[in-house]
Amino acid sequence: MNRREFLGGAAAVAASTLVQPSSATMMAASDRVNLAIIGPGSRGQQLMRTFLRVPGVRFAALCDIYEPRWDQARKITGENTRAFNDYRELLSTKDIDAVIVSTPLSLHSEHVIAALDSGHHVYGEKSMALTVPQCGEMRDAVKKSGRHYQIGLQYHYAPWYREAMRLIMSGKIGQVTQIYAYWHRNNSWRRPVPNDDPKLERLINWRLYREFSGGLVAELGSHHINFANEVFGGIPESVVGSGGVDFWKDGRETADNVQVIYRYPDGKTLFFSAITTNHFDGCQVQVCGTGGSIVLTEADGTYYYEPKTSSSAVPEALAVEHGVVTGASYKAELPYRGQGRPLTVPAGTQGNPDFVACDSFIESIRSNQRPKANEDVAWNCGVTVALGNYAIDHETGIKFADHVRA
Amino acid sequence: MGSTFTIYLYTHDQTKADEVFEAAFDEIERVEEVLSNYRPSSELSRINRMAATEATTTDPEVFKLLETSFEYSRLSNGAFDITVGPLMRAWGFFRKNGRYPTRDELSHARAEVGWTKVKLDPNQRTVRFAVPGIELDPGGIGKGYAVDRVIDVLRDAGVKAALVDAGSSSLYALGAPPGKEGWKVIVPRPGDRAHAVAEVVLRDNSLSTSGSYEKFFRLNGRTYCHIMDPRTGEPVQGMLQTTVIAPTGTATDALSTTMFVMGPAEGRKLLESMPNTSAIWITNSTNEPFIEQWHWPGRLCRIQDDCPAAGEENRKQ
Repeated sequence: MNRREFLGGAAAVAASTLVQPSSATMMAASDRVNLAIIGPGSRGQQLMRTFLRVPGVRFAALCDIYEPRWDQARKITGENTRAFNDYRELLSTKDIDAVIVSTPLSLHSEHVIAALDSGHHVYGEKSMALTVPQCGEMRDAVKKSGRHYQIGLQYHYAPWYREAMRLIMSGKIGQVTQIYAYWHRNNSWRRPVPNDDPKLERLINWRLYREFSGGLVAELGSHHINFANEVFGGIPESVVGSGGVDFWKDGRETADNVQVIYRYPDGKTLFFSAITTNHFDGCQVQVCGTGGSIVLTEADGTYYYEPKTSSSAVPEALAVEHGVVTGASYKAELPYRGQGRPLTVPAGTQGNPDFVACDSFIESIRSNQRPKANEDVAWNCGVTVALGNYAIDHETGIKFADHVRA
Repeated sequence: MGSTFTIYLYTHDQTKADEVFEAAFDEIERVEEVLSNYRPSSELSRINRMAATEATTTDPEVFKLLETSFEYSRLSNGAFDITVGPLMRAWGFFRKNGRYPTRDELSHARAEVGWTKVKLDPNQRTVRFAVPGIELDPGGIGKGYAVDRVIDVLRDAGVKAALVDAGSSSLYALGAPPGKEGWKVIVPRPGDRAHAVAEVVLRDNSLSTSGSYEKFFRLNGRTYCHIMDPRTGEPVQGMLQTTVIAPTGTATDALSTTMFVMGPAEGRKLLESMPNTSAIWITNSTNEPFIEQWHWPGRLCRIQDDCPAAGEENRKQ
């Protein structure tokens, strides 16, 4: 059944039986979901491949101002998918259920809000938006639209991240006081421009230019920042940051190294670092708890116990002279954490984070359930990213209360 | 796949080369995340987990690669088969050098092997295993496929001359180095990389080699190598190495394994239907290695010689 026909039928029923709007938008699991994408660049194309692994999904249309993307995207869909230059034409196309927005960060708010306003569900790439006001407008637009919005923070769905979160929330590693997160690379973060055409530089390498991009904090840090927000229960209270174009002086405008320190209530802290000149630490999150640690990478997670240096407060032996204790020996061991214990993902929940995220979005549409990585999760992460960048740019400490109302 | 990829390319400057390398290695990582049997997160691992219990939807790229794999199975009457994993395990060739399986182990493994037990539905783009225990293993085609995808990335980036090599067994030569006719490629002797059995100049085509000299065991005077004949359920006998040249990495990777299993007599019949394809077989069914060829465009040399001689015909030593 076509979703719009189904909606039409349901609306007719609603007139006489007062069916709740939520049940009116339910779809059968077998119903085809027609997607459209705005911005099928490298990330967008990866999302297309992944969505096409979900049963019943089809791409009905695509939009990109850079036309070579059209054929690249059609190669992925395996059909002559309708293509547009202007996203407004795409949004006025009939029979599209949801829109994927994977355009440069500065365009997210315009494209997502237009897609919601035209009645579509939206899967929007991270980070939510470039600025704090844009994040607020998008959150309001989602709530007003009654449509579902899922932010492309796929690690929010990664099985080993969920298992880590379950262990953390159950108190397995005690009280989490600090999170150290790294995304370290050793490359220019630059994409090859076809035929070295200077007119295409900003289009292809938009991540390197301030007018479009939130740089490393937005493109890489948002995953770690989202995780810390979830562990610490909301957005930070303050942030300090540093960074600059210090190594890749090739005309880029976004920093090639950034360090931000976020302070949450009760002094809980997230330290995030992204560099482009050394790969040693790779991509990882170290969650430091009073009773243990969890280290998360792009592929797995490991738990480490927290060794006690003194095994007991009770003295091993007492020196007693004339019935009076004059000294005691205490036992201490050199801490050894060993190899750590790999986090075991429960059977049946394994999977690639992108696939789980995309599958979950389609399921949200079919069952009319609010996505887990919804507009509130997106807003929390989006403003944390935006204010981290603000702190770096202004070389000053930022109080969140001066810029956002939660 | 888990192979080492080596890329040689010509660009105007180092910066451009670095950008292109990065894009190429990103693409290898993407293909690895699609095809790797070692990663539970890969798309193929997901299909292997799901397809015995339900028809599993996959994307057009993966579906097409599976169709291509099974097309080689059909053309070769099952000599090429990406479901051969359980046989490899029964013969002890996963992580080890092999052993003779028990009769029960062998019959159990054979029940779980066979490309006709995988049902592809092009309308729904689904994969379904007709029996439990089936595993898709891209070992015979994945490296060549990855090489092709990297070549696409290089072409898109405007690179005119490059050599992409996956694990020294599958490579593609794009264009030619400046002032040259193409990329000179040497096919080494089985198990002896210092000496050549053949050399060829490649330009806009691919070459893959399959060999049995890395993993094998001997029992009662017979040698059992790690390349299975899916039709018999036993390791291929009497073959040391095969090399195939064809227009794509996917084709040469699949065909070098296929030719290894089929041998020269049966293999030539299949190659007759494939234009622009050539091959070398090095057999050891007699006491001495023996080279046979099909339309080989370059030089061949005798196994016992250090230098390649002008090769024109099959040589018996």
